[in-house]
This record gives sequence, C-alpha cells and structure tokens, in this order.
Amino acid sequence: MTDPRLLDVEVAEDRDAEHMLINMGPQHPSTHGVLRLILELDGEEIIRCEPVIGYLHRGKEKIGETLSFHQFLPYTDRLDYLAPLANNVAYTVACEKLVGVEATPRAQAIRVICCELARISAHLLGLGAYAMDLGAMTIFLWTFREREAIYSLIERICGARFTTSYTRVGGVERDLPEDFLPKLEAFVREFPGRVDEYEALLTRNKIWVRRTQGVGVISKEVALAYGLTGPNLRGSGIDYDCRKAHPYCGYEQYEFEVPVGSAGDCYDRYLVRIEEMRQSAHILRQVIDTLPSGPYINRDQERVLKSVLPDKTKTLTNMEALIHQFMVATESIAAPPGEAWFSAENPKGELGFFLRSNGGASATRCRIRAPSFAALQCLVEIVPGHMVADVMAILGSIDFVMGECDR
Amino acid sequence: MSVLTDHGDPAAGAALHAALPHFTWEPVIDRGDVTVPVDPRHEVEVATIARDRLGYTLFIDRFGADRGEDAEPRFDVYTILYNLDTGKRLHLCASLPGLDPVMPTLIPVFRGANWFEREIWDMYGIRFEGHPDLRRILMPDSFPDFPLRREYPMEGQGAWAAPSRAIGGGVDGQHGEVAVNYVPSRPPPAAGGPSGPGGAP
Repeated sequence: MTDPRLLDVEVAEDRDAEHMLINMGPQHPSTHGVLRLILELDGEEIIRCEPVIGYLHRGKEKIGETLSFHQFLPYTDRLDYLAPLANNVAYTVACEKLVGVEATPRAQAIRVICCELARISAHLLGLGAYAMDLGAMTIFLWTFREREAIYSLIERICGARFTTSYTRVGGVERDLPEDFLPKLEAFVREFPGRVDEYEALLTRNKIWVRRTQGVGVISKEVALAYGLTGPNLRGSGIDYDCRKAHPYCGYEQYEFEVPVGSAGDCYDRYLVRIEEMRQSAHILRQVIDTLPSGPYINRDQERVLKSVLPDKTKTLTNMEALIHQFMVATESIAAPPGEAWFSAENPKGELGFFLRSNGGASATRCRIRAPSFAALQCLVEIVPGHMVADVMAILGSIDFVMGECDR
Repeated sequence: MSVLTDHGDPAAGAALHAALPHFTWEPVIDRGDVTVPVDPRHEVEVATIARDRLGYTLFIDRFGADRGEDAEPRFDVYTILYNLDTGKRLHLCASLPGLDPVMPTLIPVFRGANWFEREIWDMYGIRFEGHPDLRRILMPDSFPDFPLRREYPMEGQGAWAAPSRAIGGGVDGQHGEVAVNYVPSRPPPAAGGPSGPGGAP
C-alpha cells in the first residue's frame, strides 16, 4: 500500500485530537421550536452534547407575580402550546387549592374530557413529528387528520381551537354545547381504529424498530435523578402517573391502565405513548357514559363568590354582576396567605404550579415546574455515544415543547 | 378537597428526626403540603437521607422564591422530592439572607439539580457552591440583573432598552447609563469568577 502522504492528499494524522463542534438548531426542524444543541463530534460519534435553551423565554413566572390569578390563565395556554386545555386545568386546580374551592362534579368531568383530548392531541403531534423526523412521512399526515377532529371538538367546547383559556376557578367557563357529546362519542368510537393504523405502519416496521430500539436508553437511575416524568419516566420502567398517584378532577372514578416500558429506549417511549392514547380514549368513553348533570361552575358559598367569576350572560345586563366580574378578574380572588403546590399529569409529564400568596391580588411567587425542562437536561447524559442521526430519534422520543421549557 | 390535600407526609419530620437527631425539625403543613425548613449548609445531608433512607428518590423540582427586599431571611430555595412507594411529596425549604446568598449545590445527590440551580442563579442571583457550570440559562449571558427579584420592575428596563450596556454590563458587572427608571438597590456580586452577573461566556 502506498503511503498516502505520497499521493498528495491531506491525511488527518491527529485523528484523536480533532473534534468537530456543530450547532444543531436553534432552527433545526427536528428541534420543534428553538432548541440549540452544541454537539462535539469524533467522526460521526457524539462525545458531548450541550443543550442551550432560553430562546423562547417570556418571563412567565415574573408575569405571574404581577397579574391577578384569573388574568394569568391565558398565559398558561402558551406553556405547552400543544395541550393548552391540560395547562388550564393544572393551573386552575392549583388556584383552587390555594383558595380552598372545589369544582363541581360536572366541571371536574368536563376537565377530564379536556385533559384527555389534550393528551391525545399532544401525543399525536409528538408521534407524527417523531416519525417524520425519522423519514416516515405518512404518519404525520394521518395524525394531523385526527388532530383536526380534536381541534374541532375543542372549538365546540370553548370557541377557540388553540389558545383555549377554558377553565375558571370553581369550574369551567361555559357548559358543553348540546351536540358535543355525540360528536365526542363518534370520535372516541373511531379513534382506536386509527391508532391501529399508526401501529400497522410503525410498530413492526423494520426501519422504525432499528432506528429506535436500543437508542437513547434512559436508565431508571438517570430518570429519577434528572426528574423525568410522564411517558419518559414510564418508558424507563417506573410506574408513576399523577392521575393514579394523587388523583385530581375525579380521575379515581375512571378505570384505566398506566402503560410502563422496560428498556427505556426510544421504542419503549413510543409504545408508551401509543398505549396512553388508547387509554385516554377509554377514559373519554367512561366520561361520556357517566357525565354528571348540575352546574358547571361552583357558585355555592359566600367565600367562593369572592373568587368565582359571575355568569357571563348576566354581566351583559346586570350592573352588579358586571362590577363583580371586574373585581374578581382584576383585583381580588380571596386567596388566604400561604403556599400551594399542585402538579398534574400533562402529556409531557408532571406540570407543577407553586403559588405563594400574601393575601393580595396576585401571587408573590408563581413557579411553573415544566416537565420539558427536566427532560431536555437529560440529553447531556443520553446523547453522547450516539451517531448524529440518532439525535433526531432521541429528540422525537423525548417529546418536548420549548414553550414550556423556556417559560 | 381531600384528594388535593393528602400529598405530604405529616410524619416526615419524625422520620427525619429519627435519621438526623442532632437537628431540630419543625415541618410546616400548609394545605396538605409538608415543608421542612432546613439549614442551607445541611441541605445536602438532609436530601441524601431523604433519598436513601426515607425513599424520596424522584427529584421533582428546585426553585427559588423572594420574600422582598426588606425581609430577612429574604430568599427561599425549595426542593421538591417524591416518594414513589408511599406516593408522598416532601418539600425542603432553605432560607438565605438577602446579601450575597450562597449555598451548597445539590448536584452530588440529584444530578438533575444542575439546570434548576442555574435557573435559580439566573433569576435570583443565588450562588451554589460546588456547581460545575453556574451560568445563566434562560436569560442572555449578557443580561445584567436578576429579573425575578421582587424589586426588578416589569417595565422600564430590559435587553431592548439597553443594547449598549448589555454588551458592557455583562462583562464587568457595571450598570450602564441607558437604564430607565431603575436603580438596583443592591448591585449584583462583583465580577470575577462565576459570581459575575453575566457568568462565564
């Protein structure tokens, strides 16, 4: 063999020392928003990964300290903007815990509908984008077909498709329209068959399996130490779901299973999300059958009246109601001094709110514990050792959203 | 409300006392959440005991809070842990003074504390001793202040108002002249090492 140096080609003689730094993002399509990864490569193998976040920081926690409790609600739509209804529910229950109000049974059941629709919708987008990043274009189009149906349902519920702001302290903003349940029922009847279609395309697809199995393995120990929650934690074989561990909104009444993975790789996280969608449909079916009648917002007690908005239709004709609404929304929500922490099982994981009140009009601390923030930190640990192309599989399987991570 | 208020374990104080009898424990129970005040210097020890002996293995959250300029102690650093076996949460609360707040890092116990502590530094200027990479995380590196401190205004100042000082301010910790209507009552710690407000580049 001729010495390559004689052939007038450059040879990397210090092959061990030359590492290449590449920036993936903040505009890379697989980063679903504005995440930047600094990757240090040895050949095509990644030896260091540093996520850089903050590009979508809007100071929500600061805003939460200046607005009244009701006024902050629309900001929660924009946390995990793929599941605004679930964010609304989590924030409102935290406020209710702080104030000491309980939603009516009907409102709680409506909230369960909201949360599960949001979960299906968010998982569908996560799955579609995940598959598209790995080259399976069809799935993306199919999941968006179902997402469209869900958005139409959400539009029926609250008039908005994307930024819902639907919940209120003590209940929800308005009752379900009359034709909603049949429409939801039709969707729930259709949906499991659709999930079968996705699975037929992916679960035993050789390309899919080889790109995801054994890739991005998160061990139990790493998952616990990094505070992973939601499907990412369950994919690693830890059975923890807020809906079962500390039920809220009456989740204890519904029968459902919590899927748990074993290997902790990208494939397991995919399977967990697929099964969660089926379980969500199962929960929706039960809510349709058992939806209680009664008021959709709790206006029972005098104490409650100071924190619950009046009937919107009354405010259009009644001066006192209008003043009351104005006062509740802008100034006061009889929140006794103290602290409250509440966390809910959102599609991405455990979304926690910590509210501290000194009795004034707004919180003095509004902490948002975002599951995506914890999940992205984990990349430091799991990405090194993989090829560059595996990063797309890992990012897709982590299923993060930057609106929530950067707040 | 019972479903919302039985998340803390009222016996957590007694359990900690059994493991660490040389400290005093006075858990605060508020709306069912059990918050254990801990001395910042002993927090690592308490968290280790909570993880290894009491079963609080899942790290949920770590965040700061500010009681206002006049309060003393001014800052609180909360750590929220979860016990997967009993389904109970434990809140640890370490209080810090307003002037040069500093406490040991929790990374040796929970590696995931890394980013959470960077965020606390970013927002409140609380330093964590032993943290390997204490830089800003959500705000730009050149940002000169700690925005979640109570005295920081919602309007009147920001990166857009002061592009010139954003460049200079981050490096030497000086507050430039472009700032609008806002003079921080306590300047951030002097530049040099990781305590410079902009952090390492």
